[in-house]
Amino acid sequence: MSPDLTPVNGQYMEAAYIVAGAIYLLYSLSLWIRARRELKKQ
Amino acid sequence: MNAGTRGRGAIRGGLAVSAIGLLALAGVYVLALKHTPVEIRQGLAQKIFYLHAPAAWSALLAFGLVGMVSVLYLWLQDPRLDLFAASSVEVGLAFCLVMLTTGPIWAKPIWGTWWTWDPRLTLTLLLFFIFLGYLALRAALTDRSERARFSAVIGIMGLLLVPFIHISVYLFRTMHPMPILMKPSKPSLPPEMLKTLLCSFGVATLLYIGFVMVRYGLAIRQFDREEAQHES
Repeated sequence: MSPDLTPVNGQYMEAAYIVAGAIYLLYSLSLWIRARRELKKQ
Repeated sequence: MNAGTRGRGAIRGGLAVSAIGLLALAGVYVLALKHTPVEIRQGLAQKIFYLHAPAAWSALLAFGLVGMVSVLYLWLQDPRLDLFAASSVEVGLAFCLVMLTTGPIWAKPIWGTWWTWDPRLTLTLLLFFIFLGYLALRAALTDRSERARFSAVIGIMGLLLVPFIHISVYLFRTMHPMPILMKPSKPSLPPEMLKTLLCSFGVATLLYIGFVMVRYGLAIRQFDREEAQHES
């Protein structure tokens, strides 16, 4: 297949990278908030 | 280490490892999007592979460890094993969510549909719900030993599904591609793509370690607090 026939579907790639990044960041944030609260306790 | 400080080291260490993991993830984004060639037949959508497969690896690693640790818990009755399993379930669900969202986004342009009730997809969804049920069960039970025992049984049931999901592409007629890396023969991928894939596998593993360390530290501290309340 020549490069000209390569499907144009970059929007799906962008969506997947945004969704995955958001999940990782939100989960990290949730852990960080819980950890911060816990470390403040005696 | 006394009850007041136990878990703090795991939390601090886990936060540091997670931060390094997130920075490395940003590096993988740059590597995959800017420095890895485009696959001619699938186009840019193929680059979802560098997120989807490593997330699947970490999810199955997490759930596999839950099952093995659950077997050990039923044998040794050490509460730390139960706390580790519960931590690994939560982290595994985060990776499983990445796998279950990036998969359909990749499937739509390649298969022409967001979802199909293919054996591997269906079993993965089932695994996700089994471990959601695991967390729901833990939240519902107040007796600690009962909670740990029932959780361990569910964890072992999940473990049975993990290898089955991996080999499902060989057992059934499926639309899902065959393994590219984790197979008896050599990886079937050009070297530039293989390098990016290996980096993303490493980063997903690092993130798993960091996340699970934090979550385990939190679980230990919660356990010690409950123990102290119980004694007083």
